[in-house]
Amino acid sequence: MRAIKGVLLTCDSAVKQILLTMNEKEPFIIEDLDDYHLVIKADEEYRVRRQLEAELEKNTYSLETSGS
Amino acid sequence: MPSVEALPLPTPASENVPHALLPFLRSQSQNTLTRLYQRPSSCLSIFRLLGPLERQLIMNLLWLESAIQVSTMAAWVVPEGRKLYDEALAEMAGLHIIQNYASKLALNPTFKLSMRQAITGGGSTSSFGVPAEKDDKRQPSGLETLDSYALERWETILHYMVSSGQGQLPTKPSQGVLYLLQRSCLMKPVHGSTLQITSSGFQFLLHSPHDQLWSLLLQYLHMAEERQMDLVEVLSFLFMLSTMELGREYSAEPLSETQKAMLEDLRDYGLVWQRKASSKRFSPTRLATTLTSLSPPLPTSNTSSGSRAAPGTSVALTSGAGQQGFIVLETNYRIYAYTDNPLQTAVLNLFITMKYRFPNLVVGMLTRESVRKALGNGISAEQIISYLTTHAHPQMRKNNPLLPVTVQDQIRLWELERNRLKSAEGFLYRDFASQADYEYVLTYAKQLDVVLWENPAKRCFFGTMEGHGNVRGFIERRTGGG
Repeated sequence: MRAIKGVLLTCDSAVKQILLTMNEKEPFIIEDLDDYHLVIKADEEYRVRRQLEAELEKNTYSLETSGS
Repeated sequence: MPSVEALPLPTPASENVPHALLPFLRSQSQNTLTRLYQRPSSCLSIFRLLGPLERQLIMNLLWLESAIQVSTMAAWVVPEGRKLYDEALAEMAGLHIIQNYASKLALNPTFKLSMRQAITGGGSTSSFGVPAEKDDKRQPSGLETLDSYALERWETILHYMVSSGQGQLPTKPSQGVLYLLQRSCLMKPVHGSTLQITSSGFQFLLHSPHDQLWSLLLQYLHMAEERQMDLVEVLSFLFMLSTMELGREYSAEPLSETQKAMLEDLRDYGLVWQRKASSKRFSPTRLATTLTSLSPPLPTSNTSSGSRAAPGTSVALTSGAGQQGFIVLETNYRIYAYTDNPLQTAVLNLFITMKYRFPNLVVGMLTRESVRKALGNGISAEQIISYLTTHAHPQMRKNNPLLPVTVQDQIRLWELERNRLKSAEGFLYRDFASQADYEYVLTYAKQLDVVLWENPAKRCFFGTMEGHGNVRGFIERRTGGG
């Protein structure tokens, strides 16, 4: 039996795919549990959240910036 | 995406929500409360804070000389009302207004006596304050002076809070207020000395003035406990103020030392007006006299700045709460706010993008960025929606639902969008030797309610940080014993 310290992330599958891609560059995932759950290193959580935020932000379109 | 229709519509603040002060009173000892009940004004004020059913029960019991059988009272209650009735009794017992109601019902004798005095007059405890002697040299200050003073004090506090996030430097409230804001975690110091608004501070700004006032006063009460002030003195003074007459001067002479010290603090919050700090008389402002009533605690802010310039023309000042609405929200996310009040503009600026400003009108947009900024500050989507609802322009009230549904839903969606990732720190337990072993530990962890995720096929589960000590101990005991 082993106990591994980490952070359990619960997310939708789209976000999970982004996380998997991010993991290829800089690994932080300890265990890929299922479609909605991942365990990652505790000290990486902040960075991962920031990076995910930036990634999701690329995919939004705002009317405001184009002038209304 | 979860379905948005399922979300409950925001309910307007209802009268059924118990008053914020009641839990605080319940936490006090019977001794403290009984001393408080010696003052008729306190009894009357607490009576006014209670719900309609509690008030009804008190009135039923007030003029009875002896205790009555519980069954007699219960015979009045229809079966559907039983739960409400029991809750009301429990609430009153918690406040020690009624005493051990297992077999007989009666009011606390002290409460009964004071409440009777409050209603019929008589007694000389002067708990409703002693009006000051008429001063022939000076007229007592008019309602306009009091209103504009209260408004100016109060808005200084709020304005200071709202602008602290934006690097502006508005007028500072007094040290006492600043300390109170810090203590209530509405603001916290950053880089040494400058205070910055916190997320609970942002939420605070969207509450109604009555709620804001009481949450500050509650904090004041907590502080009073630490400052070794006599809580009964503090509470009874607040209640005394709440039963005073607006526009009348009261004498500060009969007040106790504690209460005289409080005058200074309350002057800073705008609850009390004094001509000079050393003055022997004081006047409560509207903030104070409406503490335990449903009337609006502040004159309508829309007209305030106009009336400050011309104090003679302040008819609108005293009119009711119906005047407060000033926001028009359109389906295209545009907001028109008919206000010239810098505080209201600043509060709106928390969650809208400003477009144009006119002397009496501000035009802005609810955008993804502006709402996300607000959400980032700790304001919730529901709070934005309820603020817009409470301050909707009378024209908007013709719409049903009040706010455009598309906009409401979008605000909620923007909130959900931020929460696509939930995280919880803990431990992953895996590589169990056998299925039986796994299930044994899992059952134990489930009993402790620390399991966040499990998968029997992979024979592993995820437990919370808090549960780890227990689970590890359990496994060690097991392997050690077996």
